[in-house]
Amino acid sequence: MDHTEYLQHLAQQQWLIPFFPLVAAAIQSLMKRPSRKASGALTIIAMGLSCIFALRAFFATIGSGAEHHEVERTIFNFTWFKFGTTSLDLGFILDPLTAGMAAMVAFVGFWIFVNATGYMAEDENFTRFFCFLSLFAASMLGLVISNNLLLLFMCWELVGLCSYLLIGFWYFKPSAAAAMKKAFITTRIGDVGFLLGIVMLYWKTGTLTMYTHDALHPGALEQVGALALRNGWWGLSTASTIAFLLFIGAMGKSAQFPLHVWLPDAMEGPTPVSALIHAATMVAAGVFMVGRMYPLFTAEPGSWVLDFVMWIGCITAVFSATIAVAQFDIKRVLAYSTCSQLGFMVMGLGAGSLVAGQFHLLTHAFFKALLFLGSGCVIIGTHHEQDMRKMGGLRKYMPITFWCYLFGMLALSGVPPFAGFFSKDEILLSTFHRNKYAWGLATFAAFLTAFYMTRQMYMVFAGKWRGGENDHGHDKHGKHDDHGHGQHGGEPHEVTWNMWLPIAVLSLFAIGLGFFGHKYGEYLGVAGAESEEGMAVVMGASLAVVALGLLLGWAVYGRKTMEHATDEDPLSVALGGLFTFLNRKWYIDELYDVTIIRFTATCGVFFRLVDKLIIDGALHAIAWTAWGISQFFRWIGDEFFINGGFDAGCESVRWEGKEFSKLENGRIQNYFRVLSLGAAVLLLIYFFT
Amino acid sequence: MNIPLGDYLMLSAFLFAIGLCGALSRKNAIIVLMGIEIMFNAAILNLIVFWHYKYFATPTAYIFAIFAISIAAAESAVGLALVIAIYRQYKSVDVDEFTSLKG
Amino acid sequence: MEAIFWILSAITVLGALFAITLRNLIHCVLSLILFFLGIAGHYFLLRADFLGAVQILIYIGAVAVLMLFAIMLTRHVTGDEGPREVLGGKWWAGMGTAVIIAGLLWAIIRKDQLAQILPAGGAQTSVVEIGKALVADWVVPFEAMAVLLTAALIGAVVIALEEVIRRR
Repeated sequence: MDHTEYLQHLAQQQWLIPFFPLVAAAIQSLMKRPSRKASGALTIIAMGLSCIFALRAFFATIGSGAEHHEVERTIFNFTWFKFGTTSLDLGFILDPLTAGMAAMVAFVGFWIFVNATGYMAEDENFTRFFCFLSLFAASMLGLVISNNLLLLFMCWELVGLCSYLLIGFWYFKPSAAAAMKKAFITTRIGDVGFLLGIVMLYWKTGTLTMYTHDALHPGALEQVGALALRNGWWGLSTASTIAFLLFIGAMGKSAQFPLHVWLPDAMEGPTPVSALIHAATMVAAGVFMVGRMYPLFTAEPGSWVLDFVMWIGCITAVFSATIAVAQFDIKRVLAYSTCSQLGFMVMGLGAGSLVAGQFHLLTHAFFKALLFLGSGCVIIGTHHEQDMRKMGGLRKYMPITFWCYLFGMLALSGVPPFAGFFSKDEILLSTFHRNKYAWGLATFAAFLTAFYMTRQMYMVFAGKWRGGENDHGHDKHGKHDDHGHGQHGGEPHEVTWNMWLPIAVLSLFAIGLGFFGHKYGEYLGVAGAESEEGMAVVMGASLAVVALGLLLGWAVYGRKTMEHATDEDPLSVALGGLFTFLNRKWYIDELYDVTIIRFTATCGVFFRLVDKLIIDGALHAIAWTAWGISQFFRWIGDEFFINGGFDAGCESVRWEGKEFSKLENGRIQNYFRVLSLGAAVLLLIYFFT
Repeated sequence: MNIPLGDYLMLSAFLFAIGLCGALSRKNAIIVLMGIEIMFNAAILNLIVFWHYKYFATPTAYIFAIFAISIAAAESAVGLALVIAIYRQYKSVDVDEFTSLKG
Repeated sequence: MEAIFWILSAITVLGALFAITLRNLIHCVLSLILFFLGIAGHYFLLRADFLGAVQILIYIGAVAVLMLFAIMLTRHVTGDEGPREVLGGKWWAGMGTAVIIAGLLWAIIRKDQLAQILPAGGAQTSVVEIGKALVADWVVPFEAMAVLLTAALIGAVVIALEEVIRRR
């Protein structure tokens, strides 16, 4: 068959990609508890099959864009159910954006799963973990291949659910339970905007399918031209209004300021979860969704939506980078780093470059997953220690982890020729063209990125091992599930092969993926590349700040490493109160607590009062009315007719019987009297008639 | 003897009424029996009145009256014997006390 | 001649009245005897001589005496029954009934042609004729009467005799 037919065939089979993990999840939900080998094997095999299918789709779409200079999208739509004349459709799409994303999710997911079999090796709830992980993988892949906003939204909610379940995997820890709620509720707030956007889109276009390739019933994204001409809200066109509302959903899911508060707390979940969901995939779903719906964003050239997106991304990038500088938990640093990088991606999209944002998403997935898995190895190797102050000198004990982590760190910091340099540079270039101030702030964020990653490297891997200083190295993580090595502190050790192999593989990509930047642009079929002017300025500036960051990091942390775990962080000595401010996350959580949460709680109390008084009152009134009516009917029916009528009738018969029985009192003279009375009456009748 | 028939009949009716009244009103059983005797006599008087005024021809009513008197006498004898027997049982001849047939 | 009728009627009625209203039982019986006498007189007035004699013999001679004996045998109260006690509970009912019947009959009588005077004519019936009739035309009732009287006699004796048997 020729290429187009082949693509159509693949598009129809897109559902196979999420299918295998879904089946694995279903089977595992019924399995017994710690069936480690069976559950682990099932998950890996399912994910592997998924990966194969995703890669097949990916390779099929390579080259299509370059040939035609326009995106070749193959779709497959089908009706889910009909009611009346309207029908709800779902559909799959096979285009470069989707295929690239699906391949990344499947591939990275596969290696994370392999690592997770090692990380969770001694956990009691092994099967439940992999069940949830498989379900997550299925939903994320479903989200990616979806051609229909309804299917996308369903998968969106499903990934949110899986995130909730996995963050609170150790639900008996109160901090984990609180974190899972926080994540779900915060993303929910974003989802309100998302849903509004979906509804408005359906209202204005009459369909939720993105592409239909049918001139008579065009898909939503094919009607963008018409939408751009109609008026929406807030001085925007309809297309931009919808785009804005959809972006609010992305803000929630991708942890942009001010809905970012859930992402750091999401580190309560196991590290593979953090790697997969909160670095590589789920948080990227928001960015992906914006990329998917990009025609809506760019429909109206002069609107402020894209600027809004860019500034939100910029603020998030800088804001979280400043916080990352002052954190002591190894995963927290990475969490804020993720937040910051997501800000970069969003900024890139807002600056008008779909390629830049999406490319950074792909590279970031690889090296952030690498970094998280590496931190997972570190945590396992140091017997569940997470505080960086208690680490140090791990380079000697865990060399493989160290080298892979180093590659990841360099990629994240933007050191050439690693991947992060190229992708971040694309974003900075686009931003430079758009708004110089934003570019300046973004460059500052890049500087901070380099700085805090260097800080982390020195604190964790260099110097001497500070972990054995107090005997009870793990009294602060109370109810972590028991792991075999028990209570002895001991020295850190390297991890098993199923934990370092994935990070080794990912580090290859962290190193080499950057070179495909231009190819990616062609692959996506975006017409024309960014103009190259200003490239020298941007590249020079970013190289300079990276070097500056590394240097400063070495100067503060590398020259004289921390001696003891209780030593004061040199930066906090230097910055004093500012350091505390950054460490406490700019007190945003406390601010939300005092304002929004208190307000919501008060509303809750108020509405409870309303419920009690008004609604309960109304209910009581209705109940009383019903009771009254029933009493009335009882009075009529029961009292009046039955008691009055029937019963009284019976009673009167009895009474009359009693009275009549008095006639028969055994007194003969009485009988005689009655007799004569009767005779008199008869005589009367006889003689007078 | 130019007494109208009606007067005799009225007399007999009146006597019957008196007898009936006595039988219904008095509480002594013997007086009740007396009242019955009075009623009897009134009836027989009535019979003889009609015999006198119409049926001299045959003595049928006369014979009837003789029989009636005999029966009345027999009846009163038995009745009074009963009263005596009841008196032995109840120690009283008050008709209001003879309630064992009550109900 | 009507005067005799009215006198006899008066005696009869008064006798009956006093028989049912007197307090003392013996007085009642004596009044009853007066009544019987009045009736007998009426029988004589109506040319039923034999019947009048029979009336005196049987009623006064037997029934009234029997009543006296009965009174004497059943005397337990210390005599005085007041008029209220005499007449018992619903005395007015009995009185009323009686009045009704009397009134009725009076009305009937006054209505018809019974006001006419019928002469008492024809031959008297003599005792011989009665005797003949008794044993010739009416012999069966006569014999039945005898049986009845015997039965009544025995019955009365048996009823009144119980206590004597029991005492033994």
